[in-house]
Amino acid sequence: MYDDIVAVTENRPLAGGHFLLSVRAPRQAQATRPGQFAMLRVLGRSDILLRRPMSIYDVTAASSQRPKGRRPKQTETVQFLYKIVGRGTRLMSELKRGDQLGLLGPLGHGFFAEDYLPQAQEAEEALHVAGGIGIAALLLAARQLAQAGFRQRLFFGGRTKDDLVGADKFKPLVRQTVLATEDSSVGHHGFVTRPLEAFLARHRNKKYLLMACGPWAMLQATVAAARQYGHPCLVSLENRMGCGLGVCLGCCIRVDGEGHSAYQRVCTEGPAFWADKIVWETESLVKT
Amino acid sequence: MARAKDKVRRGVSGNPKGAKSRKRIAVEARGLSRGKDRAASPYSEEFVPEIDTTIAGVHFQNPVLTASGTFGYGQEFAHLIDLDQLGGIVVKGISAEPMAGNPSPRIYETEAGMLNAIGLQNVGAKRFLEEKLPFLRTLRARCIVNVFGYSTEDYVRCIEILNEGDGIHAYELNISCPNTRAGGMIYGNDPKLTEEVVGAAKSAARFPVIVKLSPNVTDITVTARAAEAAGADALSLVNTLVGMAIDIETRTPRISNVTGGLSGPAIKPVALRMVYQTARAVKVPVIGLGGIATPEDALEYLIAGAQAVQVGTANFYAPGTSLRIIQGIRDYCRRQRLHLADLVGSLRVPEKLAPKAKMSEA
Repeated sequence: MYDDIVAVTENRPLAGGHFLLSVRAPRQAQATRPGQFAMLRVLGRSDILLRRPMSIYDVTAASSQRPKGRRPKQTETVQFLYKIVGRGTRLMSELKRGDQLGLLGPLGHGFFAEDYLPQAQEAEEALHVAGGIGIAALLLAARQLAQAGFRQRLFFGGRTKDDLVGADKFKPLVRQTVLATEDSSVGHHGFVTRPLEAFLARHRNKKYLLMACGPWAMLQATVAAARQYGHPCLVSLENRMGCGLGVCLGCCIRVDGEGHSAYQRVCTEGPAFWADKIVWETESLVKT
Repeated sequence: MARAKDKVRRGVSGNPKGAKSRKRIAVEARGLSRGKDRAASPYSEEFVPEIDTTIAGVHFQNPVLTASGTFGYGQEFAHLIDLDQLGGIVVKGISAEPMAGNPSPRIYETEAGMLNAIGLQNVGAKRFLEEKLPFLRTLRARCIVNVFGYSTEDYVRCIEILNEGDGIHAYELNISCPNTRAGGMIYGNDPKLTEEVVGAAKSAARFPVIVKLSPNVTDITVTARAAEAAGADALSLVNTLVGMAIDIETRTPRISNVTGGLSGPAIKPVALRMVYQTARAVKVPVIGLGGIATPEDALEYLIAGAQAVQVGTANFYAPGTSLRIIQGIRDYCRRQRLHLADLVGSLRVPEKLAPKAKMSEA
């Protein structure tokens, strides 16, 4: 984990109030593992204090403008996919190339930390389930699984077709992409968990690993489907965070445990959890 | 100041076991060399300000501490900043038994501040001693353990467990908890309850007791005096101001507990006023906190009468804040040719506008 002031290399507007933010952060880029996040801070504002937690969407090599043969390309850019949801993300959307930003990361327990791996390896195929901007948490995991030879599918849902940004990078990694929108603007009509349930029902004798990130209700439905058909399921959770360092205890969520162990920190024990660990009956965490 | 220095030389540094003798020698050595500077005229070119301070018999190398609940148990920040440079670390509130805390959402950011209702989640006194204290013991920063309970017996039981701890320099008593037996009455809002719990804690405690006051009262000098009368060695203030925020779309509270404690720069003017009033109302040292994010903020508190300050919410978003403040205080003192002791309580205010002087001096 590093705490640096980094420079924005690009802040590209996408459909539906989404942005793809790239920052030059070699230390963070090289340390990042799938499922981790970073805390971003807009500098120079005394009214907006706290950093914003964001999934690390992608890490890439430096731009190809570097003269060929100079030295091998190193991973040095960290990308974030975000949507304007409040004051913090609105400010972030105004960042321009060359602007500075506070970046703390990579943070958290990713998808494939040691204890997560064995169960993942038993699966024949990985199913990614993403709701809107939740897709940002899954790309690095999909790439790692693809490199390990896993077959994968993506189930991707949103309110409307403008919510389905970021699917293109999955194309080379997955054998199928299933889209769903609540307004039928693209793909299946309704929640993405409906085609997911139908898929699981059709392929009862296969062993899948589900990996999901999205709104609480989508996660609840995904986890219920995974349970029904007996597949292990990893989820990446979000919550408001004060520090990202594990000290403010603001991001704690209810987990299976008694007394003091009834809550765990999304920033430290998570954001990737086995679905069985979470108490899903509790109300939704937060919208933003 | 001279008295404080003598205490250091005699070894009354708040470390009961003398476990840090090597470090103390280093402190003494620096003290002596600085003593030379002090002997020289404060107008000489090489003026080096003394910014160490002694509170409740505990010597701090500088007046900047990290506030309870914002700095974990110290270790979480070890790879981000040099902890040895801090004056002290006040660890997350500890209760006799571990506590789970409140449901999510627990925090919400407001204009220049944040609301929190964590619910005092902590590992409990025993695990603190086993898992957290050994690391804190290795630091030069003084270790202050924030203690809370829901009854006077809870506080005493927690202190009795913590008394076994080696490397604790003082307790900070969080009296902003509701006393469940007194019908949920907040200890810190009632001078009688304050006296009761401070008196009991003081009798039980092996280390000095700093009482952390709640700002959610009409007149903070009333509880401040009550805590002092019951034997508090020092006071720290303020804890968070109770506030709330509402999501107008769903018409629900922004945090699960409905109300929460407001912290951050938004509360600084209120907290500063309370520190000013309290410093004039009691004889014991006052530690000021509330929205400190810059050296200038800290200096305001010191001038208002705080002998030390705590940095809280700023740790969340700028972990280097405390170190920048220490440097800023040093630079200011050098520029102003003042030692910390000369600065504390040096507010220039017309006599007729000043609140009543310390009762004890009247």
